[in-house]
Amino acid sequence: MKIAVAGKGGAGKTTVSGTIARELARRGHTVLALDADTNPMLGISLGVGPEETYRLLAVRQGLDDGTVEHQESVEALMEAFGTDAPDGVRLVVALREAVAEASCSCCGVNPPQLLRELEAKGRTIVCDLEAGIGAIVKRGQVDLVLVVAEPSVKSIDVARRAAGTASGADGDGPEVIVIANRVRDEADLEAIEAALGDYEIVVVPEDPAIMQADREGRAPIDADPDSPAVKVLLGLAERLGREPVPA
Amino acid sequence: MAAGAAKPYPQFWGTVGMRPARRRPGVVADVDWPPGERPLRVVVVGKGGAGKSVIAGTMARLLARRGRRVLALDTDTMPGLALSLGIEAPATPPLVDAVDKAPHGCWRLKKGVGPVRAVQRFSTLAPDGVRVLEVGDHPTIDVKSVTPSVQAFYQVIHGLPEAKALQAWTMVGDHPAGPRQTVHDWAPYADTLLIVAEPTWKSALTARRLAEIARHRDAAVIVVGSKVRSAADVERLERMLGERVAATVPADDAVAGCDRLGVALIDHAPSSPAVRAIDGLVEGLVQGRLAQVATP
Repeated sequence: MKIAVAGKGGAGKTTVSGTIARELARRGHTVLALDADTNPMLGISLGVGPEETYRLLAVRQGLDDGTVEHQESVEALMEAFGTDAPDGVRLVVALREAVAEASCSCCGVNPPQLLRELEAKGRTIVCDLEAGIGAIVKRGQVDLVLVVAEPSVKSIDVARRAAGTASGADGDGPEVIVIANRVRDEADLEAIEAALGDYEIVVVPEDPAIMQADREGRAPIDADPDSPAVKVLLGLAERLGREPVPA
Repeated sequence: MAAGAAKPYPQFWGTVGMRPARRRPGVVADVDWPPGERPLRVVVVGKGGAGKSVIAGTMARLLARRGRRVLALDTDTMPGLALSLGIEAPATPPLVDAVDKAPHGCWRLKKGVGPVRAVQRFSTLAPDGVRVLEVGDHPTIDVKSVTPSVQAFYQVIHGLPEAKALQAWTMVGDHPAGPRQTVHDWAPYADTLLIVAEPTWKSALTARRLAEIARHRDAAVIVVGSKVRSAADVERLERMLGERVAATVPADDAVAGCDRLGVALIDHAPSSPAVRAIDGLVEGLVQGRLAQVATP
């Protein structure tokens, strides 16, 4: 199964990706967490800590200084630019900031290509996409797109476009589930429903525990697994793990 | 890349007698500006959601109120600066009409469209007289159609440093989330990088990375703490960054409220703590007294 997570920067993509990846792993899935953001911070939400997260960022930049070898296959990339996160999740940083010439797997693959090439057989891939809708996913690349929206005009707008692009003009794209994040009240939910009412919406309440985990650089699933927001995400992961989306 | 750089610029808002601009980057620095009147050239960078657009938009408005001619530049293909400035985002990418396809297939600025004319014709007027030039918007499905505008925008901003008619203009840019646009030098007009960071690890590590990238560039780097709730937050952020925080914008419900409504903070909560803090930031920039990050 391949899951991609999209949305505006700061909407909560990385928190959603990290928490779902960890919970799927706890439920017996072999999980590959792919950080396809040029600003890769998934390590924080997976619980590998700030220092290791920063090291991974620099690993990709090491290609430029010649301290890291180029990789010729997508699978070798998983080995060279990854780290082991708790619960057996393999975290891989998929992109680097500057790509001058597209010549090898580690330099020239964009997230859609990467998702297409990676074999999902026997493992579950959770891909944290770059902010915005620049890195869109289409049919055949993933089975499910989680679109994260917080109740701000801009975030909802990004989510609406990301969801529309993912599901395709004819609705023949992957399944889309909208995650309404940081919802405080009915009005917040109504704003999101008004733009994204065509999709299934999972409501994640505003939760200080998430902010606190971010401040401490810890995974929400470790910092406060019983907090309301984490519980919703664990419930979603349980469901996704139980009913695999048809490939 | 900077097409039209060697062409004579047309008259521009009362500016007369323009001569062909020669390639002379950093032309602003060559002029002896009276104290406090040196045009600011700032780009706001940082992690998504840190508050870049609201800071950039409010700064632009406040600078215009101080009598400066201000050009605001939105490099994000999901434009957000317009909302913070108090105008609607454009329906179509504004610069689409500024380019045509060269015989070799690349998009280039049309004959006669230099950076100055591009700003003159394709920017939008925002309150307080701020001019806004936006890269424009991704339509929902056909992502390709924003490409000409992106190409045009890139070529225009690379012509800005040497655009003599805009020499006295203050410029405030808003970048999308993450370091990519900074790596690729999407703000060649800027002599100051304002890194906006919340007191969270994700935001701080992004800021640390941006500060590293900025060191390779001849620009002042200033860190602004955003959504800060206490002095302890500032200390925490400085520890996470390993850098000094020069100014702060407090956590303010008014900002979240305006985000939810899609309205400009400066219009809807003009006396909010966040606007007051951004005014302080502007004052610090004008006076040139904000601490820069340490250079190695």
